[in-house]
Amino acid sequence: MSILLQQIGLNLRLNLRNRMALIYGYLFPLIFLIAFWTIYRNDRIPLALHMGELLTITVLGGSCFGLPTTMVSERERGVWRRYRLSPVPAGMFVAGTLITRYILLLTAALLQIVLAMLIGMPAPHHPFSLLLAFTFASIAFLGLGMVIAMLADTVPAVQALGQCIFLPMLMIGGVAVRLSSLPRWAIHVSAFLPGRYAVEAIQLCTTGNGLSRAHFDLFALLLIGVAGSITAAMTFRWEANERFVSRRGTLWIALALGMWIVVGLLAESKGRINISDPADNESLSPADYVSSTSPASPSLAPVMTPAAPQSSVVKEPAQQPAPAGSAAGKSPSLERPAGPSSWQAVTQHDIDGIAFERLPPDEGLISPIAHSGESPDPTVADQLEQIRTALATWPPAMVSDPVQRARNDLYVAAVPDVLEMGEVERFIPLLVFSRLRKDIPATDLPKILYWIAMHPDDGDDSAIQKLEPFGLPGITGPTQQVRRRVMFYSLKLLGRLTGKIIPK
Amino acid sequence: MEPSPVKNVVVRNLSKSYGSLQALAAVDFDIRAGEIFGLLGPNGAGKTTTVESVLGLVRPDSGTIEICGIDARLDSRAAKQKIGVALQSTGLQDKITPREALKNFGSLYRTAVAPQLLLERFGLTEKADATVDTLSGGQKQRLALALAFVNKPDVIFLDEPSAGLDPHMRRDLHDQIRAMKRDGLSVLLTTHDMDEAEQLCDRIAVLDRGRIVAEGTPRNLIAASRSAMRISLQTSAPLQPDWLAGIPAIREIVCDDNGTQFTVSEVTHALAALVSLLEERKIELTGMRVGRATLEDVILELTNVPRAIETT
Repeated sequence: MSILLQQIGLNLRLNLRNRMALIYGYLFPLIFLIAFWTIYRNDRIPLALHMGELLTITVLGGSCFGLPTTMVSERERGVWRRYRLSPVPAGMFVAGTLITRYILLLTAALLQIVLAMLIGMPAPHHPFSLLLAFTFASIAFLGLGMVIAMLADTVPAVQALGQCIFLPMLMIGGVAVRLSSLPRWAIHVSAFLPGRYAVEAIQLCTTGNGLSRAHFDLFALLLIGVAGSITAAMTFRWEANERFVSRRGTLWIALALGMWIVVGLLAESKGRINISDPADNESLSPADYVSSTSPASPSLAPVMTPAAPQSSVVKEPAQQPAPAGSAAGKSPSLERPAGPSSWQAVTQHDIDGIAFERLPPDEGLISPIAHSGESPDPTVADQLEQIRTALATWPPAMVSDPVQRARNDLYVAAVPDVLEMGEVERFIPLLVFSRLRKDIPATDLPKILYWIAMHPDDGDDSAIQKLEPFGLPGITGPTQQVRRRVMFYSLKLLGRLTGKIIPK
Repeated sequence: MEPSPVKNVVVRNLSKSYGSLQALAAVDFDIRAGEIFGLLGPNGAGKTTTVESVLGLVRPDSGTIEICGIDARLDSRAAKQKIGVALQSTGLQDKITPREALKNFGSLYRTAVAPQLLLERFGLTEKADATVDTLSGGQKQRLALALAFVNKPDVIFLDEPSAGLDPHMRRDLHDQIRAMKRDGLSVLLTTHDMDEAEQLCDRIAVLDRGRIVAEGTPRNLIAASRSAMRISLQTSAPLQPDWLAGIPAIREIVCDDNGTQFTVSEVTHALAALVSLLEERKIELTGMRVGRATLEDVILELTNVPRAIETT
């Protein structure tokens, strides 16, 4: 044990003396942090929703380049030959090297988290789970780094092999480019790359509800890490003049990569590769949720209460010019089905024409809603209570126009959804639903929700910028995505209200 | 000082094949305590395989290796406790310091010599805390040598210890190696430098094609050689090699601007034939030097290699 500690201590000292190692180990992660901060500068809470990607890049870089570069250069210099002459078994030196690299990765990640917190990111919700998720990601990628070290004869070969893994993982593996931005085929490919599992597990611990929803991610990372480690052990080379034994070695490499395929197939078979959510649903319009057999038509007479109490109703914004600065004025409108001329004219028949079964699942990435009876994570209980309280007194939720009022309430649910705020986002729609039911007469609420869903581009969206009382970030720039989420939530709440959707 | 009768290294019937290539075939040798043993031979002779087998880096096909009474094939870790190795390169990271390297490698053994003692012994005190990439070639070589002593070994392996050293450093190194002998260590030496082997080694084994073709003290090997003498001639006109080729017992003929050199096993007969040849060709002998054959001549003869010896 003392030999292992001595090796780790020495390796750490040597790393701290090596300028290039410091640049690659610490400066690059900070550059990525700054790059993410710049790219996502519109996030109200800086970086919180990107720590999964950031920390995964740190582990991936340190494992694909840092570890094998150190091992191969030491092998070329004869360091490992000298170790081999000693009576200490090889495993001790390999363990020392791996633990050292893990410590370097961990300190680089801590540096990133601390800097992100200085910028304004809140502390990770589940720090110990985060440590565990980070460790599993490290196991997966360090195993991979060891395989690279055994395959590469020289340091330039490490760089070439490392790039072959690093770049695809970043671009189509869900590490640097979000899965929701990827085409369908790339989302399928990402299931076979370990990066997405690391991102998911780490992100769930940073802003989500911890590892309770990350069991498969951890399993996938462990499986890939163990296969890589076995392959590295079986193809281990002490000296630079020992060459990779091509035939036998190829079989072991096949084992390591084969485990990626096994993980991908498992993920696909378990339906974990949610390819319908992001790209598909984002491009859907209200017309896509109206059944083709729907008799919805402006000419149909209302069958519901014809009008809400006059005191709570003003002329609805949809029939007025869109306010300056609204999304309707600057974004391409979503395709709107033919329908009633005003919210008051919405009929039960119109509502019956909604294809609720086409809505994204409550468990998906888009417009998630917690199950009934599900308790939120205690770490977000305070924030949810703050939202519940603030909804009662929030000025945009008290404007006279009930449609705009409902729209504003729905923004409170839609913004966290767009920002993928993990645990919090699933419970806010229930708070909003409760608020709407209290605030808007029961006879009006279905019509208003229908109207908002069919007219997502209408009305004022300036309330999106006024979410401070809820402790929520706002969204700057185009608001069309938020409006689309308002459409989903309107329909989902409408389904619940009318019994068309039975909550789980 | 005579070597002790205690044998620290005993190698018997050592054989190793790589596919169809027989790298070692029934190699036997011993090294006694207080003895410097040289392993010489041309490239591909099997020196590296022999040494790596003794050091536990290569698993031989058959044979036994005993280090200080320990069966090195059965318990290589215990045997490694007894061996110190000075590699040609330091085999160290750029940013490690001599003090750290000595401390770190010492910690890998049951017995460790205090780094400060080794730093003083090998003249590295001033550079104890400088990183390896700032050391001169000689300092690196001394550090490589010091590393061989971190575990207070009974057997020392020196791989080309004087490669790249200037004459001063080479002399210092030779003193260090003689000191090892005085301290009762068994030293296994491989070197390109035949003068060095001749000066330092108590015994030498010559390997050729995986077999030991000769073994003994340098003096005995030279005396037993047919290459007993090396003759240099300066003449009034250049000699042609084919004129000399007809004279029995003359070999290794070199004719160049400096004159003619050759090796003979029977000097009297050769000189008589040479004088007759010069008279017949009316060439005057302007100078002649007769010297004992060198170890290099012996090894060239034993291994049938027509050029200089290499020992990698």
